[in-house]
Amino acid sequence: MTHDTADYQRPPAEVRFADELERLREDDTGHRPPGWALSLTAARRFVTGDDALGVTRKFVGDTALIDRALVTLATSRGLMLVGEPGTAKSLLSELIAAAVGGTSTLTIQGGAATTEDQIKYSWNYALLVSEGPSTRSLVPAPLLTGMAEGRIVRFEEITRCPPEVQDSLLSPLSDRVLSVPELTGPDAMVFARDGFNVIATANTRDRGVNEMSAALKRRFNFETVFPISDFATELDLVEAEAARLLEHSGVRAAPRRDVLEVLVTTFRELRNATTEDGRAMDRLGAVMSTAEAVSVAHAVGVRGWFLRGEPGGAADIVECLAGTAAKDSPEDLARLRRYLEQQAPRRSGEQWRALHAARHLLPG
Amino acid sequence: MAVAFIGVRHHSPACARLVRETIARLRPAYVLVEGPADFGDRLDELLLGHEPPVAIFSYHRDGERVHSSWTPFCGYSPEWIALHDGRAAGAEVRFIDLPAWHPALAGRANRYADADRRYAEVAERLCREFAVDNTDVLWDHLFEIGDADGLGERLDAYFDLLRGEAEAGEDDTEREAYMASWIRAAEDAAGGRPVLVVTGGFHTPALRALIADGPRAWPRVPSPPDGALGGSFLVPYSFRRLDAFTGYQSGMPSPEYYRRLWESGPERAAEALTETVVTRLRERGQRVSTADLIAARTLTEGLTRLRGHRAPARTDILDGLVAALVTDDLDQRLPWTSRGPLAPGAHPAVLEMVTALSGDRVGRLHADTPAPPLVHDTAAELERLGLDRAGTVALKLADPRGLARSRALHRLRVLRVPGFVRDEGPRTGADPVLKERWTLAAADRDPARLSALIEAGAYGPTLADAAAAALDERMAGAGTDMAALAAVLFDAALCGCAGQSDRIAASLAAGIAGASDIAGLGAALGVVLGLWRHDRVLGTARSPLFGTVVAGCAERVLWLVEGVRGGPAPADPGRLHALAATRDALLHAAGPLRERAGLDRDTALGVARRVAANPDVPPDLRGAAFGLARALGDTADPARAVRGAAGPRTFGDWLAGLFALARQDVLDDGSSVLGVLDEMVTALADDDFLVALPALRQAFAFFPPRERETIAGRLLGRRGAAGSARALLRTAGDPVLIAEAKALERRAGQALAAAGLLPGGTP
Repeated sequence: MTHDTADYQRPPAEVRFADELERLREDDTGHRPPGWALSLTAARRFVTGDDALGVTRKFVGDTALIDRALVTLATSRGLMLVGEPGTAKSLLSELIAAAVGGTSTLTIQGGAATTEDQIKYSWNYALLVSEGPSTRSLVPAPLLTGMAEGRIVRFEEITRCPPEVQDSLLSPLSDRVLSVPELTGPDAMVFARDGFNVIATANTRDRGVNEMSAALKRRFNFETVFPISDFATELDLVEAEAARLLEHSGVRAAPRRDVLEVLVTTFRELRNATTEDGRAMDRLGAVMSTAEAVSVAHAVGVRGWFLRGEPGGAADIVECLAGTAAKDSPEDLARLRRYLEQQAPRRSGEQWRALHAARHLLPG
Repeated sequence: MAVAFIGVRHHSPACARLVRETIARLRPAYVLVEGPADFGDRLDELLLGHEPPVAIFSYHRDGERVHSSWTPFCGYSPEWIALHDGRAAGAEVRFIDLPAWHPALAGRANRYADADRRYAEVAERLCREFAVDNTDVLWDHLFEIGDADGLGERLDAYFDLLRGEAEAGEDDTEREAYMASWIRAAEDAAGGRPVLVVTGGFHTPALRALIADGPRAWPRVPSPPDGALGGSFLVPYSFRRLDAFTGYQSGMPSPEYYRRLWESGPERAAEALTETVVTRLRERGQRVSTADLIAARTLTEGLTRLRGHRAPARTDILDGLVAALVTDDLDQRLPWTSRGPLAPGAHPAVLEMVTALSGDRVGRLHADTPAPPLVHDTAAELERLGLDRAGTVALKLADPRGLARSRALHRLRVLRVPGFVRDEGPRTGADPVLKERWTLAAADRDPARLSALIEAGAYGPTLADAAAAALDERMAGAGTDMAALAAVLFDAALCGCAGQSDRIAASLAAGIAGASDIAGLGAALGVVLGLWRHDRVLGTARSPLFGTVVAGCAERVLWLVEGVRGGPAPADPGRLHALAATRDALLHAAGPLRERAGLDRDTALGVARRVAANPDVPPDLRGAAFGLARALGDTADPARAVRGAAGPRTFGDWLAGLFALARQDVLDDGSSVLGVLDEMVTALADDDFLVALPALRQAFAFFPPRERETIAGRLLGRRGAAGSARALLRTAGDPVLIAEAKALERRAGQALAAAGLLPGGTP
């Protein structure tokens, strides 16, 4: 990298973990699929971690999922990561793209306003007018670049795009070719080089907004990314992330473990719609992801420190939950209130009692 | 060394292969197998030539505990191969573990469960090291698919590691000491010829250390304590049941896959598995294209190579199939990744995969196998109770002999043994009927009865044990269906199995926790509460089991009620009955509620007040919650609340709720409710009255006739009119005329039904 990246707010994965990738490349003895920067085993170690090489674990989840994802990318089908919001789909796609293709920046952000121009290519209109269509006036978008250079292209939130825009992926994925009809001669057809493939992510909460066509679904292998299944792992992650954020915000009190336990348990129970001892409850309409738990933990810490000069307690959780979990939905607020009224007092422990006692802090 | 150890994982084909090779190579004098020593003199029975899977079922009952457990064998179990090949090679074959009744095995229903569940930490670290998700995948990776060369050494290293860091529990230590005493004796008796020991790999390191010193005489087979009832016998087993052990009782999953792996190797097993899954999916109308199959095959190949396997392992095939065939998001984690049972609502493709791997093979016992004790016990019991003849039997449940006969017959009924039909008897827990009438068929005319009894023999040795186990199974199958659970519970009461099993209580409580149907819960609560309070005949009054259920149901109803939202709707009687049952539970079963659910009057009162005051709750529920609060001692003025519920469209429903729970408020002498009601009804415009009328009628239907008369009398009094209150309740028309009109209506209804014009069929 020639640029100075020190003051980037968030450098891409291949920059953040450049030294780890370098070590893995040197140590890599496995077979590389054509066009890949690393072998499959090395790419897997990049994601799941390798203590011997000092490679950190970057994604908490099933190893089998990573295996399937990598093998899929080595075949002729694209990889579709689906799941609830906040399950680190985009992070996983970024990590895999960086490991496999060496760059994670060929990214299309899907949205209601995404057009084919932003996916395939557009024109430099000044040049187009003066010179006519040529490779000089062509402005390649991520898909064209990825195909021409043999890289992984990331398509975020694909189901946010209108179906006709989604379908522009059909021929690049099946025939592995992109035609540029404005040009003539060999430039009119861009053939995908080895190493090209697509990782798309989609949000299950968007299901039904823009349903994918069967033709496109057939060209992807679907992988569902689940919230973290293990309580202790999730608690550790929330603690570490919250501590990092709090330090960044100038809070000098570390979050209390017992408060975080209550917070994470609450999030898990409301997310899974069952209590830890197996009682069925209502599922909250709002997203109760680990990422949300981190942001609540952050807010709790900030409240506690700047309002009272202490780490923040269960009462702060209640105040913050109203904003995160309930958002603007009165139904969710009612569900949350019912949870605090009837489930919280069943638990033992000081923080659970405090949570129950603070239930009247919920608005409305 | 003369003693050779093979530490196995139970039901592992790779270990079975190693056992087979070792026996052929060593030709040992003794083959010692981890298994119940008290079955030792009946090994011939086990070697008759059954079609596996079969199991040794062991049961035990003494003053303190009841325990039943299985020792299951598949055709590819290392223990099964050790017994058969050992015998064929001319070796002396012995079971060397403690009997199933022994306290060291008290907690176990499956003798051949995995040990690593008990020593999870090391296993977890190993999984992390090999980048796999759980120990099943790790096992396949290291042993089933791994190279056959050096398998024994790898097994030893694996189990040494597992054992090396774990402190064995007291139970394991006791079993190991006993097994070691057999090994030492066999080593002496063999006189230098080899002795082969086949046990769970977790025990091997300890056994090696233990055989060096200690007594070398043949150990005694411990006998159960005096007065205990127990025994072991062979039963047919099934792959489904083998795969159904969960938690720390579980062993190797997917028996059908491993059977194929044992019989035809990994490539053929993979092919057969794919074929079965695809066939099953296509039979169910799911689309599986050739392109999908090619993709699945490619992915499986890729995964096999990525994971460094010489042939596709179980999860390579499963992962390949799932990636290629599933084109939706999944609602739950893949069962082979999370290593748990499949929850309801799984993706059809995943469901078919798991089912195909599990298989539906059922074992069969050789014809010469002795019949299970249940057959003899039943014959004796029927004879003792005078039920061994055809005809009709009338029973009085209040009479001890009548009760014993009734229980025996009900136990046969729940075991689905044909030939015993009940014509009359109590239908619910609140039913005051104390007589039953049964029709019995002659035993010799019904060959199905014997086969049904033999089959039921797997449930237990006596009618009581077998019925209890069958009820357990039904209860587990009922899931969260509260109506079904209530039925099982009532059967348990009829069979006299109520206080017998903690497992029943546990699965019932589990069902309650997941139930979301208030009416169903209320119905169950009504039945159970009735049995818990009153039932002395069937012996369930104050039974702790029923107390647990009452507490669970009441707590769950309150939880669900607080979640109900909705605008004005007709009163829902099921829901109101559920709240009434909850009120009864709170009033009459306060002890268990506080003890088991932590639910006291104040908590319930809090729920009732919040529901009653919430304008988003349907009116009937609000009224009912208000009534509940009153019944629990709240002093809010009902007259004011009645006014608050005004509106011709809602107040009838609100009243229905109130009357369902607290009729007395209207009847009390000082009550002003009636006055307020009278005022409101009088003030209604004609149209509004017609709108309110149906709901009002329904509301007042909660009063029995005598109370309606009281109300009528009060109304007359309010208006200063004299006269008979009873007359006010009578219809004005001639009863004969009304009867004729009714008959005419019925005929018209029948005619309409016959012409298919009436919804619902019969009038």
